[in-house]
Amino acid sequence: MGVFSIEIVREYLPFFLKGAMVTVGASLAGILIGSILGLFMGIGRISKSWWIRYPFIWYINAFRGTPLFVQILLIHFGLIPLMMESVNPLVSLIVTLSLNATAYIAEIFRAGIQSIDRGQMEAARSLGMTHVQAMRHVILPQAFKRMIPPLGNEFIVLLKDSSLGAIIAAPELMYWGRAAQGQYYRVWEPYLTVAIIYLILTLSLTYLLNYIERRLDTA
Amino acid sequence: MIKVESLKKSFGDLEVLKEISVEIKPQEVVVVIGPSGSGKSTFLRCLNLLESITGGKVMIKDQDLTAKGTNINQVRTNVGMVFQQFNLFPHKTVLQNIMLSPMKVRKWQRKQAEEKGLELLRKVGLYEKAHVYPDSLSGGQKQRVAIARALAMEPEIMLFDEPTSALDPEMVGEVLEVMKDLAKEGMTMVVVTHEMGFAKEVGDRVLFMDGGYIVEENAPIALFENPQQERTKAFLSKVL
Ligand SMILES: Nc1ncnc2c1ncn2[C@@H]1O[C@H](COP(=O)(O)OP(=O)(O)O)[C@@H](O)[C@H]1O
Ligand SMILES: [Mg+2]
Repeated sequence: MGVFSIEIVREYLPFFLKGAMVTVGASLAGILIGSILGLFMGIGRISKSWWIRYPFIWYINAFRGTPLFVQILLIHFGLIPLMMESVNPLVSLIVTLSLNATAYIAEIFRAGIQSIDRGQMEAARSLGMTHVQAMRHVILPQAFKRMIPPLGNEFIVLLKDSSLGAIIAAPELMYWGRAAQGQYYRVWEPYLTVAIIYLILTLSLTYLLNYIERRLDTA
Repeated sequence: MIKVESLKKSFGDLEVLKEISVEIKPQEVVVVIGPSGSGKSTFLRCLNLLESITGGKVMIKDQDLTAKGTNINQVRTNVGMVFQQFNLFPHKTVLQNIMLSPMKVRKWQRKQAEEKGLELLRKVGLYEKAHVYPDSLSGGQKQRVAIARALAMEPEIMLFDEPTSALDPEMVGEVLEVMKDLAKEGMTMVVVTHEMGFAKEVGDRVLFMDGGYIVEENAPIALFENPQQERTKAFLSKVL
């Protein structure tokens, strides 16, 4: 392999850091959009009406049952060109991450909601609250607390999976790793550096999440 | 006040309530007894439509619960319910538990709801617990908060489903005291309980349920001391 060339790392570091920002931004956008859509989908997923429930179940199955790799290609080269004039890889990446996260987060919401004792809903309804009021003031606040660990987990998964953006040339961290590799035909310098940056990101996130969990436990 | 006509309730193939008809007058205290699984909880839950009913009719103050124009949420504000498992909201303080529904459903101002909440807490003897979370309360205290929470909606009817069954024996008394006070104030009450002392002291009528029917009903003393039906006798000999 030759000597590890710190020069290559130094040259590409600004790009890696810029890429890391894009990685964090895209996965953050994915988790936020995914949480909003996932909330509605998670509630719709347990609806009593089959015509609301079934489309959601199929959406969730489709996105959880196919590789993100395939999804990103279909969306970037298929779906987005159908809907927009100009195609931006970063937009495609964020759309893919959001739609994918929606499916997983919908399941997190469903599990969170269903983990709340049904006596809670009954007590709220017996006091005259509507289903929506009971959800909003009684069920969801309790469910959210239980959803934070799996949501954090999903965020970490998303952060790592956003590296697939490299194949559609979205300028995230892995994209710059591949660019450096392509220029110098070196493996260790770009990929090891990129791996370390991913590790720093995910470990910081894990640490942050543990902190939040501890805070909520004592609250 | 409450009129039940040929009420039927099935869960799938399981017919739990076969034919229940009963009328409950304003300010009456009706105690429901019967073996476990006889449908007492189901009956109570049909009175505020926590269970959908399969057949027959339930009328609350002449309002048919399953009629098209009936707003069930509106009816429920007039029918408080107390559960065996308390079902307090663990993410809210005691006072917030009580204030939530008046504010969200009745649209009361915070101040009004708070005054009502504190007044009710004083009534059930838990004024000093207003700002703690339910987790830190004993079972008897939790159930008294649950009663206060139901009362905050100013219902005319209160339903109790084995309110003391989940309590340690030494806490049963404090909950029954609160319920007796309510009865004396003229609350219309339907109480599923096996506390015979309570039934005798404040009950106007006891219903004995078994197998999806009301097998026998009478004034408490008469029913306990002189049951007419074999099934009633058999049940009472086990619990008394
Ligand atoms: N949600 C439900 N689904 C299916 N069966 C139920 C449900 N709720 C109650 N049951 C059944 O109905 C019967 C009566 O239950 P319940 O009304 O709780 O009796 P009780 O309160 O007198 O002990 C029992 O056999 C119980 O298993
Ligand atoms: Mg029961």
